[in-house]
Amino acid sequence: MVCRHGRLEAVGGVDLDVAAGQKVALTGTNGSGKTTLLRAVLGLHRQVDGGILVGGRGCRSAAEWAWRRRACAWIPQRPAPGRFPLLAGELLSSGGDLPEAVRAARRLGVGSLVDRPLSSLSGGQLQRMHLARAVGCVAAGAGVVLADEPTAALDFAGQEEAAEVLTGLPVTLLVVTHDRAMAARCDRVLEMAAGRLREVS
Amino acid sequence: MSALDQMAQLVRLLPVQRAGAGLVLAALGLPVVGVVIVGLDIMPVRFAMMHVALLGIAIGQLAGLDPVLCALLACAVAGAGVAPLARTPDALSGAMGLLMSLAIAAALLVLALSGVNANGAFALLWGSILAVRPSDLAVLGTLAVVVPALFVWRRRDLALLLHDRELAICSGVPAQRLTVLLLVLVAVSVAGAIRLTGALLVDALTLLPALAARRLGRSLGAITLWAVGIGVVVNATGFLVALGWDLPPGPVLVLAAGAVALVAHLLPERGAGSWRALDAVAPH
Repeated sequence: MVCRHGRLEAVGGVDLDVAAGQKVALTGTNGSGKTTLLRAVLGLHRQVDGGILVGGRGCRSAAEWAWRRRACAWIPQRPAPGRFPLLAGELLSSGGDLPEAVRAARRLGVGSLVDRPLSSLSGGQLQRMHLARAVGCVAAGAGVVLADEPTAALDFAGQEEAAEVLTGLPVTLLVVTHDRAMAARCDRVLEMAAGRLREVS
Repeated sequence: MSALDQMAQLVRLLPVQRAGAGLVLAALGLPVVGVVIVGLDIMPVRFAMMHVALLGIAIGQLAGLDPVLCALLACAVAGAGVAPLARTPDALSGAMGLLMSLAIAAALLVLALSGVNANGAFALLWGSILAVRPSDLAVLGTLAVVVPALFVWRRRDLALLLHDRELAICSGVPAQRLTVLLLVLVAVSVAGAIRLTGALLVDALTLLPALAARRLGRSLGAITLWAVGIGVVVNATGFLVALGWDLPPGPVLVLAAGAVALVAHLLPERGAGSWRALDAVAPH
């Protein structure tokens, strides 16, 4: 498949097959198209040629997109603090399973912050909150987790903990990361350069 | 005659009672619309809608239909029309500017074609709170029910959409449909408020309470409640002061709402205690 930003080809001729339950790390230089690839799966990037199937299903109708977004939990890169206040608890409940997400938040050390607006959290706390939300998505039935540098803002202990939580989930995982420890926990490591993909291990 | 006596005497008059009822009803719906305007970051929307309303009035005069009804319809259509551009906030703001220019040009063209005096059409934009008709009360009453009801019913979806559109989309919020609905509501409310109370008052009724509330509340629910509360208090006191001291209600209401917004911005931000202080509490 091919993704464009205007005339610029961000992802070119990527052909990737991920088996169910596989953990895949996506590494590569900045600007090589990793984030665009993940966003294309969720339909957040629209200039896409070619097809993306999740669980054998493509996306033509709104109902199919709705299924795709339920099936794929997303951890955004540098989660935006947002334009308008949102409570951390509201973020957790948006994943579909609030109790499970709150449990994960406690495990990740941000359980006491659920009543706070997201704008008052630090970058690392926000990232932990998004990870907890993804755990809630999985509890609500998501079979795929698309994580975009989920440990970039975390301290060393936090990186370890987040990698453990993420790779411990019973799902197919596609994680963009520059963190060697995270990559080492995955079944496959792919490297992206200038929009092309190559298998590393 | 003291200000209080004058107030007591004036509130016995039917137009004054109607105006008061109109303001209270407006305070229930319009500040919530203001929250949407602030949340979607589309402040220029009121200017755009004013021009679109003018276009509606011009078309109404050309076709011999009720100009106010045409203005409301034109705004509703324009609101729905710009919704596809709402994918990014910048695009939406730009679209509002474009809409404004096109609408005023089209309005002047239609007015020239219909051969009516442009001033007559402009006059319809300068409503007066004391000229509120029962049909206007019906529009305000409908908004006072529909807008808060939408906010209660779709609270979760709205909070996510106003916070971050992409997160909302990934959480299964029908972002496109909800944005169309919100923009239509905003457009109709602004058009209705301009017609009822004059262009100046629109800010007092919609934006200023929302701007003050944005500083005071920490979540969508809290902000909405603050906005409605501020709207009711400002409208009631502003209106009574205008009656008691024989002042024009429009400017008094704007100044009162503006003062509240200013005070809210001068207050230290609530609950913004540094996350560092919290780090000590959070178990790691």
